[in-house]
Amino acid sequence: MLKMNSIAKVYRTDMIETHALRALDLHVKEGEFVSVTGPSGSGKTTFLNITGLLETFTGGEYLLDNVDVGQLNDRERSRIRNEKIGFIFQGFNLIPELNLFDNVDVPLRYRGFSGKERKARIEDALEKVGLAARMKHYPAQLSGGQQQRVAIARALAGQPRFLLADEPTGNLDSLMARQVMELLEQINQQGTTIIMVTHDPELARRAQRNIQIIDGQVNDFSIYEGAASA
Amino acid sequence: MLNYYLKLSWLSLRQTPVISALMVLVIAIGIGVSMTTLTVYHLKNINPMAHKNERLLTVQLQTKGEASDAALPEQLTYQDVMQLRQSDIPVRQAAMYRTGFTVQPVNPEIKPFIERARVTDSAFFTLFDVEFIHGGPWDKQLDEIGDNVTVITADFNDKLFGGQDGSVNSVGRTIDLNGVQYTVVGVIRDYDPAPKFYDLNNGAFDSGDDIHIPFSLTPVHHYPSWGSTVSWKSEKISTPLQWLQSEIFWLQFWVEIDGPQMQAQYQDYLNAHIVQQREIGRFSRADAGAVLSNVRQWLDSKEVVGSDSRVLVGLSFMFLVVCVVNTVGLLLARFLRRAPQVGVRRALGASQLEVFKQHLVEVALVGFCGGLLGLLFTFLGLSGLRSVFSNFERFSQIDLTMTLAVFVIAIVSSLLAGVYPAYRICQTNPATLLKTQ
Repeated sequence: MLKMNSIAKVYRTDMIETHALRALDLHVKEGEFVSVTGPSGSGKTTFLNITGLLETFTGGEYLLDNVDVGQLNDRERSRIRNEKIGFIFQGFNLIPELNLFDNVDVPLRYRGFSGKERKARIEDALEKVGLAARMKHYPAQLSGGQQQRVAIARALAGQPRFLLADEPTGNLDSLMARQVMELLEQINQQGTTIIMVTHDPELARRAQRNIQIIDGQVNDFSIYEGAASA
Repeated sequence: MLNYYLKLSWLSLRQTPVISALMVLVIAIGIGVSMTTLTVYHLKNINPMAHKNERLLTVQLQTKGEASDAALPEQLTYQDVMQLRQSDIPVRQAAMYRTGFTVQPVNPEIKPFIERARVTDSAFFTLFDVEFIHGGPWDKQLDEIGDNVTVITADFNDKLFGGQDGSVNSVGRTIDLNGVQYTVVGVIRDYDPAPKFYDLNNGAFDSGDDIHIPFSLTPVHHYPSWGSTVSWKSEKISTPLQWLQSEIFWLQFWVEIDGPQMQAQYQDYLNAHIVQQREIGRFSRADAGAVLSNVRQWLDSKEVVGSDSRVLVGLSFMFLVVCVVNTVGLLLARFLRRAPQVGVRRALGASQLEVFKQHLVEVALVGFCGGLLGLLFTFLGLSGLRSVFSNFERFSQIDLTMTLAVFVIAIVSSLLAGVYPAYRICQTNPATLLKTQ
């Protein structure tokens, strides 16, 4: 499903070159739950941005569903983000002046669905995260855990092939973090591929597979069998 | 998506009311100033006879002596007008000039007063589409042998005979002008075109005349001209007859001729007149000739709307540009402040184009609001002009064209102001935008 060969990312200024990723190789299969760990500044976020087509890379090859995404223009990359990828951010990134319904509606608007189709998908997604009754509420009226569940609903509404989660529990207390993690595991069990960046080794162990990025390279490669039951 | 973007734009404006109001105000002030001057310019520049512009022509003859300057005389001499009136090529034609009378009302409660009048031919009314309320023009026969008849305006009719807007039918009644009794044969709706294209001598935006008298009475009553009288020749003029036979330019002459073929035929007629007059010793200069101008050409050649008006419009639009430039800064600050949201939208599938469109819709909405407020400022500006300059009354009415222009200019200005900020925000890497969260 996702294949990266020798991906490199170099940030250049007039004075210096910074190698964020160096010849990174990765292959993620359909339905996998992969956690990505590594020290600060190791290139995890750059890796996630490149994976989510938010950023371009300076070397290597990235195939997503056998499509060489390095050759795509902005419109095509945006369409893939919209149709195949769901994002979950550490800071939730909900739009404060929109209510929950309209927040979940954002990716669906760019998809061109009819009003009826959008409504059905939004209600279904909010139902899945247990917030259907609060769809007219605004993000500020919710707890952090609830906001993250709305962000997950927003990511799910478009029925993406895989979710990219950047420290999804980083801003939550342990109880809420557990609830969010359980939700992600349920989503994965229903067939959605998940790549999750985390600092938390406990959470990383709950994924089926963990990769470590150190100095822009996949340094370690471990498989946690039976992770889903953790 | 337009409705969606409008909704987002409205939310965005409400979210930052102070900066939104500031942007709307800046646009509105620029629009108010520029549209006030443009409205005055537009109304001054209107051709009141646009619907028959190509058929309605005025005649100018270069009849000055060899030693005189080459400027084409704006008016005609009496002897030339009397010659030209003989032609049967024009569908209609009217010679004219302004004079004035002391009016002695029948009602002893009304004091005598001085009133302006137009001495002209019966075709004046059909030539310029003047509408009659009562009666009609005097008989065409009276254009040859005058009689003391008159056509008056509704306003003048009300003044002398009472009623409102010409409600009293005064046809058949007489009025005393300079001690002579004139019989009213028609009452017209107030005729006051702006600019007063047919006679620019007393100012292009001078008001019309209330009394109309047959031109054929000129040699009978010897009405004085209340307009411009210019001559290139030193002549001894001590009798009314000498005045009529002089080379003084003091008459306007308008003709209505259908089609280029007939107009060419009339031009030949005028050229023949030049040749004939040369043979009898007039029109000695080499460039003696005749010029026909339609209403638009006439107004343009007389520079009815002066270059100072155009400069003023230019300056006011430069002020609008300054307002637009200020708006660019405000929009840029506003959009960049919202960068994280744009990052989220980009991550969720919005392309650069969609982000660009969303922001342009927002600036168009700012422009529309600026147009609404600018329209109010324009009304205020025009009201101010009316209150300060009484002669601006007729140029300070905003019509539908200018109302639409307010919104078009406001929205276009805003879009121009918004293009760069919208481009900047949509070109930024989404990952960078998200980092600012």
